[in-house]
Amino acid sequence: MRPTVEEQLQGTCRILETIIAPCVADPFARTILDNLVANLRMVTAALPQVAGFQRYDNQATLHQLLALRDALPPELDARIDQAVAAGEPDVDDAAAQDDRNQLLRALLAQALSSASLSPDMRHAVEGYMIDRASRMPMRYVPTVAPVTTSTARP
Amino acid sequence: MSFGTEPDAGIDAPARHVIDGLKKLICHEIPAARDIVLERLSRSAGGLSRENWSLDASWTDAGGRHEHRLMLMRDAAGTLLKTERSREYDVLKALEGSGVAAPAVFWMDADGRFLGAPSLVMARMPGNCDYMVLNGDRPLPERLELAHAFLELLVGIQAVDWRARGLGERLGVPGVSPGKTELGQWEAEYRRVQLEPHPELDYVLGWLGRTAPQADTVVLVHGDFKPGNALVEHNRITAKLDWETAHLGDPLEDLGWITNPVRKREHQIPGHWERPQIIAAYRELTGRSVCEADLTWWNVFSCWKLAVVQLTAVNEFVAGRYNRVFQTPTWLFRPMLQMMEGAG
Repeated sequence: MRPTVEEQLQGTCRILETIIAPCVADPFARTILDNLVANLRMVTAALPQVAGFQRYDNQATLHQLLALRDALPPELDARIDQAVAAGEPDVDDAAAQDDRNQLLRALLAQALSSASLSPDMRHAVEGYMIDRASRMPMRYVPTVAPVTTSTARP
Repeated sequence: MSFGTEPDAGIDAPARHVIDGLKKLICHEIPAARDIVLERLSRSAGGLSRENWSLDASWTDAGGRHEHRLMLMRDAAGTLLKTERSREYDVLKALEGSGVAAPAVFWMDADGRFLGAPSLVMARMPGNCDYMVLNGDRPLPERLELAHAFLELLVGIQAVDWRARGLGERLGVPGVSPGKTELGQWEAEYRRVQLEPHPELDYVLGWLGRTAPQADTVVLVHGDFKPGNALVEHNRITAKLDWETAHLGDPLEDLGWITNPVRKREHQIPGHWERPQIIAAYRELTGRSVCEADLTWWNVFSCWKLAVVQLTAVNEFVAGRYNRVFQTPTWLFRPMLQMMEGAG
């Protein structure tokens, strides 16, 4: 399909930057526009990676939960069993993948809050958190903070 | 451009709204005011949590003609920080005559009845606001001098006699662990704004709760101490701004904010003004000891608080009330975990 999603997003950024932005005189509105375009470029680059990240994260989170289960209360352990039994959703069903991700991350949050973790467990889960953060496809894009003056006039 | 009593077709609707609202506020605060003239209104690009409008105002009352250069800060429709204008107003009032570089505050529209959103009107101070002034184009000696000046300002804020100035009643006095008090308040904000599970932030929150330090004394804390919240004219800091998160707390809190490794491009000068130099200068200026482990706790807390502020922005954006796009702050996870590991 041409233009592809990526081509359409890139084209939108180009038009916003070359046609629209020069006409935006208000500095506040221009700052907002710059942030939006920067974010749109980030989303354009990240979009192809999102589905793969979601699948990785569901598997990695479940792996962490299984590794922690000896330190967890029975009620939480049972809910992990239910999540295992539910199985992985269809890889092409993005909404189902996202729902499973929410479920697994909620279980992990509860596990980390309630468990008396051994040093090895802590080390493993911290390693997972750092690895996950490094793989996250979508990130905040800072735009340059302007030097503002209390006396300047546009 | 001046805005007397006649409508001016040359200004846009938001500016007209500010002009009309401010006139009503002035009339409310100074019933005898007449011949009110508001001139040279402009909105600055800065300000993530609020709209900043500068203008010149004049009016006549029984005391004669008054002319002031003003700055109006109005809550944005969506904001990074849910705070009360009255807190900032009370702190600025209490700081008048204290020697701390802060703008004089004129009026407050606490509930937005005049200006449409909670607002403060204060004196417009000279100078520029530059987040990166410590790592900008100025020569190193000038930047070092400014870095010292910022620390002296921080110490000056901590030296304010908050009891004598009535801030204990207005802000509330924390217990023996101001860190736990702050953590509790920011945890409530975290729970209010989180849209999805964040095991990483819950994990760090658990560590912060288990290891919160006690404080030797209680001081006035700015709560967001950074060059981006200050005006600098030449080599002089003319005003510290944005007191909306000021509170009473641990002396190490603001110090933890400026020694936080993730914000070092704003607060530190590589090789010259880093954590060891800042701590040494702080010790010399205050005579206080600085426990490294406690300061690291405040470094981690600073990151965690920053993460909550960004989640607030995510929440507001998704709700259609905030016009900048933020993401879950995964970039903060690694430094927080590394500092926790280093603290043992």
